Amino acid sequence: MDAFILSQYVLSGLVIGVIYGLMALGITFIYSIMKMINWSMGEFYMIGSYVQYALLAGVLGWSLWYVALPVAMVSVFLLGLLVQRFLLRPMYVGGVERRDEYATIVTIALMVLFRNLAIVLGGPNQYAPRDYARATTLVTLPISGNRMVALIGTLVLLALFFLVIKTTWIGRAFRGAAQNRVGIQTAGVDVLRLDMLAFGVGVALAAAAGALLAPDFLVYPENGAISTFKGFEIIVIGGLGSVLGSIVGGILLGVIEALGSVFLSPAYKDLYGFVLLIALLVFRPTGLFGERERTV
Amino acid sequence: MTRRLAAIVLALLTLAVLAPAALAQKPVKIGVLTPLSPPGDAAAGQLIVRGAKMAADDINVKGVLGGRKIELVIEDDSGTPEKGGAGFRKLATQDGVVAVLGQFHSSVALAVQDLAEQFKVPIFATQASARGFTEKHLNYSFRTHVIDTDRVQLWNRWIKEKGFKKVALLAENTDYGVGLVEDTKKLFPSTAGGAELKTIVFDRAVVDLTPQLLEIKSWKPDVVINIGVGTPAYLIIKQAADVGLLPGTPMLVSYDMPARAEYWKNLGEKGTYATFIVYYHPTMKLTPRGEAFRARYLEQFKEQPVYGGLNAYAQVMLLADAMNAGKTDKPEDIVKSLLANKFVGWNGTIAFTRGEGPYWQQWTPPMLFLQYTKPEQAFPEAKIIYPPELKTGDLMQAPKR
Repeated sequence: MDAFILSQYVLSGLVIGVIYGLMALGITFIYSIMKMINWSMGEFYMIGSYVQYALLAGVLGWSLWYVALPVAMVSVFLLGLLVQRFLLRPMYVGGVERRDEYATIVTIALMVLFRNLAIVLGGPNQYAPRDYARATTLVTLPISGNRMVALIGTLVLLALFFLVIKTTWIGRAFRGAAQNRVGIQTAGVDVLRLDMLAFGVGVALAAAAGALLAPDFLVYPENGAISTFKGFEIIVIGGLGSVLGSIVGGILLGVIEALGSVFLSPAYKDLYGFVLLIALLVFRPTGLFGERERTV
Repeated sequence: MTRRLAAIVLALLTLAVLAPAALAQKPVKIGVLTPLSPPGDAAAGQLIVRGAKMAADDINVKGVLGGRKIELVIEDDSGTPEKGGAGFRKLATQDGVVAVLGQFHSSVALAVQDLAEQFKVPIFATQASARGFTEKHLNYSFRTHVIDTDRVQLWNRWIKEKGFKKVALLAENTDYGVGLVEDTKKLFPSTAGGAELKTIVFDRAVVDLTPQLLEIKSWKPDVVINIGVGTPAYLIIKQAADVGLLPGTPMLVSYDMPARAEYWKNLGEKGTYATFIVYYHPTMKLTPRGEAFRARYLEQFKEQPVYGGLNAYAQVMLLADAMNAGKTDKPEDIVKSLLANKFVGWNGTIAFTRGEGPYWQQWTPPMLFLQYTKPEQAFPEAKIIYPPELKTGDLMQAPKR
């Protein structure tokens, strides 16, 4: 195999890996603030793709995808706020025991509900928005315009996310909540309101991935399953709660899957990530960038 | 006292006269077990349901077995054997159906046919083509659809006649996909004119097939065979166009998905130049039954019927014919009637014989290769490019990028 073809495989893995990272970022962000796993993350990805398609097909026209994208994100952000306020917040007030178990049950129920709602409202068929841009080449890799847009969109969103987290007051509050929820309350931050915002931002990131990938990976009721599946794999590889880990884990998973499916067998593409995951759990149980819990 | 006794006797007499008539009017239930939600090919299931409903409507004008209505019980198998099994059990035990049709995914059909044997309820594969379905020689399994081995033989002949030297086959890891890969590998050396074969089997749940398509592209095949069903089939076409494999390299889609109305909506111009296998073409001459269906379908849905609907329609009709011929609604006797009689299908006479290998209780429709050569081309305008005796045009190749 020559270097040209190998570079294509690596690049295709890198591109999909960065996009995987965006899928995982929302999960890890919500976890780091609320200390709960959102099992319905893939369904917010799915809703993002449906909103994007509906806006383009019915309201804006195919060429205005860049207008539809923030609208889809904001719509899902608002939905996230509602879900957090009415379904999840009650678990965080009044000292509810077994909060994690409740959160698991609620978000799994949401997963089933949203999937079935999508079938009822949109039918079980696939949809696809028209291409966002013309096909192009990324170094040696021929790539669809949609994938290129998704890559650039992901990088922009990641940059914005880091900027907000590192430089703004709300970002500092998020970081504080991630480190110590009780501590930040003593500093006068309303942690329940912060939870609501974190949940909204997390699911909006998933919606962005769904909207960006809609033309390439299609729009259908179960399209979010892959995002949940990969997302959880990535956050364990990268380290639960680590934002940087979700990006690095995504890229690592993308490249390993691409190379494994070419050099070994594509029938077991999903297995390669799990082999890496198991190896990491054996040798570094906290993941690549995860930290051991420190308690006093 | 005498008056009261007279009233009771009169009531009993009325009941005795009316009860058999009421019983005779009990509807005959037929199950439709088909994919209506993902991960199954839900669009296919919807088309099958449309055809079955139209047949029930047509039969119910006069009724079956002297005026009884046909009642369809529709169940979603989601394209998974587990849901298919649960659905079949419900149909056979709770609903009391006399037969089940609508099977589309081979994996589901192969799983539920054993239940059909156990519950003694005939099952019809409407568009499930795995060889094993009829090769098992089960008493209650019937099929009025093609067999994968025949599909493979046809595309091998096409490969030989077109002089293709390198053939890539990209298949999903289902009974359908893996079965076609195995059949192709087995028959390729003897029937494909010495061409070289490359096969790649992928997980059906995977959405990014870029590495596999890059691998195929670097191998420089003369033709690619797309063995995905539903979403994977669309993803292969889309992503093959993205990496530059399409439209320069011809692609044969293994079934009639491109005949559906949503094909162009999902693929846009990336769907141009696709070649695909169909079992029905709008220019075909049909039986009066088939023609009546076609006319009514066009009127009702304002689009061309596709094969799944047509075949489901014919299966419900032939079940009604078998019940009438055997004067029975008992599943065991329906099977006897199916084997003893001939039936009018959508494009010819259907008879079920117990032949060798997979030709057991099997009737096979024709197979044609069609090609779209323009974006948004209507299904009736697609040229028949194979077999030679039926062709209306030649394979057109797009310029390579």
